[in-house]
Parts: sequence; structure tokens; C-alpha cells
Amino acid sequence: MSANDTVSLFLENAAKVAAGTHRVENKDRLKDKVAAIVLKGVPVFCPQTTELENVVAALFDKLAPDYTSADASVEEVTAAIAETGSIVCASTGGKAVQSSLLPSHHVAIVPREKLFATLDDFFAAYATSPPTNITLITGPSRTADIELNLVIGVHGPERLDIIVV
Amino acid sequence: MSTQTSLNFRANAAKAIKDAPLRASMRNAADTFGTRRTSAMSAVDFEALREKASAIRMKVLDNHAAYLEQFTTQATKAGATVHRAHDAAAANQIITQVLKNHGVRMAAKGKSMVSEETHLNEHLEKEGIEVVETDLGEYIIQLDGETPSHIIVPAIHKNRQQIGKLFADRLGVPYSEDPQVLTKIARKVLREKFLTADAGISGANFAIAESGSLVIVTNEGNGRMVTTVPPLHIAILSIEKILPSLKDLPTFIRLLPRSATGQAISTYVSIITGARKPGDATGAKELHIVLLDNGRSEILAGEMREMLKCIRCGACMNVCPVYRTVGGHSYGWTYPGPMGIVLTTLLTGLKKSHPLVDASTLCGACNEVCPVKIPLAELILKQRVNRVSEGLSPSKINIGMGLFQIATKSSFLFSLGERLANMFWPIMRMFGGKNVVGRLPHPAKTAFRRRFK
Amino acid sequence: MRVQLFGTCLVDSLYPEVGEAVLRIFKKLGVEVSFPPGQTCCGQPAYNAGYHQEAKGAAEHFLSVFTGTDPIVTPSGSCAAMVKHGYPELFRNDPKMLAVAKSVATRVYELSQFLVHVLRVHEKNLTGKGKVTYHSSCHLTRMLGVREEPLLLLKALKGLEFVPLPDAVRCCGFGGMFMAKLPEISIALAEEKADKVISTGADTVTGCDAGCLMNIADGLKRRNSAVKVKHIAQLIAEGI
Repeated sequence: MSANDTVSLFLENAAKVAAGTHRVENKDRLKDKVAAIVLKGVPVFCPQTTELENVVAALFDKLAPDYTSADASVEEVTAAIAETGSIVCASTGGKAVQSSLLPSHHVAIVPREKLFATLDDFFAAYATSPPTNITLITGPSRTADIELNLVIGVHGPERLDIIVV
Repeated sequence: MSTQTSLNFRANAAKAIKDAPLRASMRNAADTFGTRRTSAMSAVDFEALREKASAIRMKVLDNHAAYLEQFTTQATKAGATVHRAHDAAAANQIITQVLKNHGVRMAAKGKSMVSEETHLNEHLEKEGIEVVETDLGEYIIQLDGETPSHIIVPAIHKNRQQIGKLFADRLGVPYSEDPQVLTKIARKVLREKFLTADAGISGANFAIAESGSLVIVTNEGNGRMVTTVPPLHIAILSIEKILPSLKDLPTFIRLLPRSATGQAISTYVSIITGARKPGDATGAKELHIVLLDNGRSEILAGEMREMLKCIRCGACMNVCPVYRTVGGHSYGWTYPGPMGIVLTTLLTGLKKSHPLVDASTLCGACNEVCPVKIPLAELILKQRVNRVSEGLSPSKINIGMGLFQIATKSSFLFSLGERLANMFWPIMRMFGGKNVVGRLPHPAKTAFRRRFK
Repeated sequence: MRVQLFGTCLVDSLYPEVGEAVLRIFKKLGVEVSFPPGQTCCGQPAYNAGYHQEAKGAAEHFLSVFTGTDPIVTPSGSCAAMVKHGYPELFRNDPKMLAVAKSVATRVYELSQFLVHVLRVHEKNLTGKGKVTYHSSCHLTRMLGVREEPLLLLKALKGLEFVPLPDAVRCCGFGGMFMAKLPEISIALAEEKADKVISTGADTVTGCDAGCLMNIADGLKRRNSAVKVKHIAQLIAEGI
């Protein structure tokens, strides 16, 4: 499978679980895309630890001081897996995985070189000496606890957007 | 609730059958689970996957002591404190002690069937520690003072009207039966709990020996909350839930959500390796892992050890004709359905729970869907054999089977028995009752064997 | 060709007309049928109740009666499964009896298996009538793997309209001793099965196991339904 096909498969699978899916050519286009996705005026959290995150952070006049007071979180994630349409947030390098949990809207930036084709590929890379926390995230939070009726948005984010760069 | 013990299975079931809303809820659940599982499994080679999964689980069981040791060492290296709890009381005591040492007044809890097994909540409440269940289904039943009726969807026995009324009564919110509205109410109420809890208590789906990691498979986000927001995290799981390596996880990720809810993957798969380390911004400052035995070592050493392969997916109960008719509470203990029959009788002993072995038609539907190939119907049959050899079968059946043996070893006596049944049918009907003998047709005047000549 | 007929205790005592239908089928096909008169019961009621000593007694008797090399045909999926799978299990620690059990197991056929695979009845000119639906018994389906054969036979009955039963493979609630031990659940399942049968609009429900059909018949009675219940042997005997 070509790299392009892997990206397509990834986005296809992510869309199946109600994630918003987007694909941009470069970091300039990324800025435009984030501007279009994130609601104006809401408190936004951005870790500002990577180049792409810094590019995006420039969009916002005022960023939330931390993820607990933010309505939206925009960040680069650790990896992604095409087989399942999952993004991966890991605690490596001082990353707070909670930033993908507490805010109601999570916007995940996936650099395409961090995309793994299968679960096996991903875990082969992370099996020995995993960091304190690895979380595979596939779509926004959900439940079917009431009559098996699907409800999107429970305790985790109610909305997930994924942008592959 | 106190009368709903395993010993009263037949009475529990008879009551459940007359409960029309329960019947409707169970019918909806079983049909929906069936459709969703079938659809999800069509995307993978189920037989190949479960062969692989069964082999991995069997390998663990065959080398259990070594894997348990490896997990303990690795988890400790990663900064967790690992406790071994011999039984339910020990587990509850260890957890209470840890909570008390940290001055915990309120703990936020993710779903854990093992904690139901030990009656952890009840114990903690008695010790003055508030426990808030945060999984939506568990939250609902906690509000109503009930126990879970399904191992994946704890409140499946309730319909939206009942839940709406419960929320209105207990939370003082306006009545709504819209699942969206009810879920958002729970989101609001429980968010405050997540952020103020002194501790988080969770279960775990798997323990990874090679890395000392815990794997937690969830959808709502509460599992992530209770394991990463409070400074203290206590995880309780039973000793057989081990996988050798994270490299084995993909097989189970492909099987467990599909088997349980018909999802290709659950929304969240959390892999937690130890407590927060220097440089981390995620992770509980202190992680305690309680490994519960509660009779599993004995099972591991016995002839029914395959039962320990179970990964708690719930697929067996979803296809069980008995479970779909009576619901989970009838089984009178923590685990319902086919896996419940086997595990309950093994963990509590046949003396306490032997009526459960009758709660099956041996139809074999469970065998077909088990993602780790546990021969559930055969294990239920084995427990029936054990019940007989332990002298727990009613004497009238012993006598009946004695007569059966005599009659089947002689065609003369067999034929005589047929003629007597035909002659004394009205009396047999009277003794046999309208719901058993009364359902059978009158024996033929001339049996087939006598027509042959 | 010669076969040995194992009637089964249910057919013998409660549904002899099913046995007679089997005889009619074989007579029409020119197959000689012997009925070893010493036969009684395969032992399944004791086996499934956990009484394996008593079940062994019945099994030993069966094996002593059905000697020789002729195929053994029985109009019951669960009895065929008992002999094929239950007997080797019962005698797993007795090498001599195990050998006998395994040898006999290779000779045993459930009726529709024999009619399709050995006699190719589904390729013959058969007639039928009415609208018929089919219940797929648990042991027949899951232990013997018999899924297509009854359907092939029904579809070969020209003039008979076959309509599939929703959830055909779901247990009807008979379960042998289950019917006696948990009658409330057995009745509830029989009623559900009856509801599914009625929903097809069929005038007849058929199957390969008299125990199931007996339970379903009672379920239909409780629904005041006029749908007829017939063993597949009876439908084929009428149309051959």
C-alpha cells in the first residue's frame, strides 16, 4: 500500500467513527484548516511544543493557560494507525495526554510520517519500554449504555477533528 | 435483591419472565448485539483470530506463575506498587488502607467487574469513603442501588423511561427519556467528580507481563479520567488477565470490541505503564495495582482451567437463549450468562450455586462466539457431572435416573415402561404438572417398535 | 442397500408416525430397513443431566444392539450427535469401548444427512404442498454441522413453498431435561419460536428433531395457532 493510500485508509476509518477528517499539503494550509475548524472566541489550548503547534498557536490571540480551562485543544499527536483510524497520544517528552480528554473539542494534527499502517506495526515500535501513558483514540467519546442507543460525547471530547499534514 | 441468589435461579427466572419491560429490554439488547457483532466480525477472519487468541491465553495459563512474576517485576520497575490479594476481603482491605493512607474522602471509579465480585463499594462506604461510579451504566445502577446485569452494559435491563424517571427522582432534573439528554446530564454531574476526586479506582482488561503495563479498553472517557486526573490511581484486576507482550495486543484489540459491542475498536485503548516519572506530565503520582486471586489458582490447577482464558467480552450472554429471556440478575451473582454459570460455580462452589448449571439448554451458541474458544457448553456439562458426583442432585432425579438406566438396558423393560406411561398418563400428568408433563402429547397407544412387526 | 433404523425413544413412544414415515421413504427407495428390536434410548437425557454412569449403561446397550457394518439412520439430530460425539467422550478412559464407539460413530447418520449424501433424494422427483418453514435444531446444526441438507430436501419438494424462519438457529427451549427443570423459560422460548413461525405466514413448521417439534407445537398451541407441525420425514414421505 502506498503512503498516500495509507493516509486515505486512515481518514476513511476515522470518518467511520464520527471523527471530522481533513488533509492538508503543508503547514500554511494547516493554519487555514484549523482556523476553519475551531469555533471563534472559545478558549483554546495548544501545548506549543512542536513546530506545527507553534504555527497553529499563532492563529489565536489568547490561548487558554491549560487544558482544564479550554473548550478546544489543538495539538500534534504522537502517532496514528490506519487500520483502525486511530490517533495516538503518548506521554513521551512531557506531553499531557489529558489535553485530548478534558476539552470538549479535540483537534489532532497528524504529520503523515507518523502514520502506521497496522496495529502490529505500531506496537512493534512501542512494545519494549513504553512511556507512562499511551492512549489510542478512535473518534469522539461515546456510549450505548441506554438501550444500546449510540450517544456521541460522554466524558471525553464530544467532537474530534483530525488533520493529516 | 437479597432473595436473588444463585440458589433461587428458577424462582428468579420465573419472576423475570413475567416482567414485561425487562423482557422487552432484553429482547432489544440481544437482537441489537447480534446484528452489530455479525456486522463487525464480517470484516475479519474470526476463526483464525480466535485460534490465535486462544493459543496466547493458553500459553499464559500454562506458564502463569512466570508471567505473573514478570508482570509484577516490570510494573514495580515502572513505579507501581503491586499487591497480591488472596481473596475478596484482602483486596478490599488493601484498597481501603491505601485510600486511608492518602486521606481519600471521595474516589471516582471506572467499571470493574472484579470489584463487584469483592463488593468493594459496599466495603468502602462502610469505611466512610465515598465511591462514585463514573461509567454511565454503572452510574445509573449505583443511583438505583442495583448490581450490574451484564458485564459490558450494566444497565441493559432498564429502558429509557425508567432511567429518565430515576434521574428526575434522584438528581432533581426535569424528566427526559432522550438518551442524549440523559448522557449530557451525567457528563455534567460526573465532570465535577473527576476533577475533585482524591483518587481514581479502575479495573483493567489486560496486564502486560513484558512491560508491566495495564490495558484499559473503554468508550466514554471516564476510564481515562479516573486513571490520569486524580493523583492516586488504584487498579484492581484478577490474576489470569495477563498477556505476554504488547505485541500480542493487536489480536485482542481486533476481537474484544467486536465481540462485546460490535465495534472495530473501542474509542479508547489506554496503556498505562507505572506511575508518573520525572519529566512526565501524565500519570498518577502513585499507582497501586491489586492482583486478585479469589479462587483462581485452584481453578488454574483443575480440569476447568480453560475458563480462565475469558476476556470478559459478553458475547456468550448476548447469544444465550436463557440469558435473553431472564436477564442477568436471575443468576444471583456477579457474572451472568454462560460464562457466569461456569465462573460462579467455580468461584463460589457448587454447593452455593449448583442450580445455575441447569440454566442452559446446551444449545452451543456460546461456543460459536467465544473469541478465545472456551468450550462453555462442555464446561457447563462438566459441572453437571460434578454436581451429581458431589451428591448435590435432588434424590428424586437420582431415583429417576436409576430407573432410566434399568429401562434403557432392556428393551423388554423399556417397552413395559412405555405401556405403563400410556396407561397411567392422567396420573403422571397430575404429578408431573401442567407445565412439564402437561406439555407432552399423550403417548401412542402402539409404540413404533410394536408397529414394526 | 440395507440400513439399521434407530427410532429414538421420543419417536417410539410419542411420535410413531414419524417412524412410519421413515419406513415409507426407504420402502419407496428400495432400501431394506432392519429395526434391531433390542434398541431403547441413546442415553442423552442422562448424559446431558450429568449422570454419566447411567448414560454409559444406555450407551453400552446401544453399542451391543447396533452391531455389524450397515449404516445406522436416525430421524434425530441430537441422538445422532449423542452417538457420534457423546459416546467417544463417555468412553474416553476405556480403550476397548472407545474403539467400538468410534467405529459405530462412523456408521451413524441423521436422516437428512443420509437422504442427501447417500441416497441423493434431493435430486429425485418429489412433490409437496403448502407453505413450510424450517426450525434448525441446535445439536443438528452446531454439533453435526447439518445446515443445508434439510433445506435441499425441502426445496426439492415441487409445489411446496419454502419460507425461511427468522432466527432459525436460535434454540427453541426444549433442551431435553431443561424442559422439566426450567419449564417457565422453556415455555417462554417456545412461545418466542412460535411467534417467529407465525410471522412467516407458513401453514406448517418442520424440523429434524421430534423433541424440538414437540416443544414448538406446545408453543403454537399457547398462541392458539393453527400452524401444523411435521417432522421432515413426514413431508418427504408424503411427496416421494
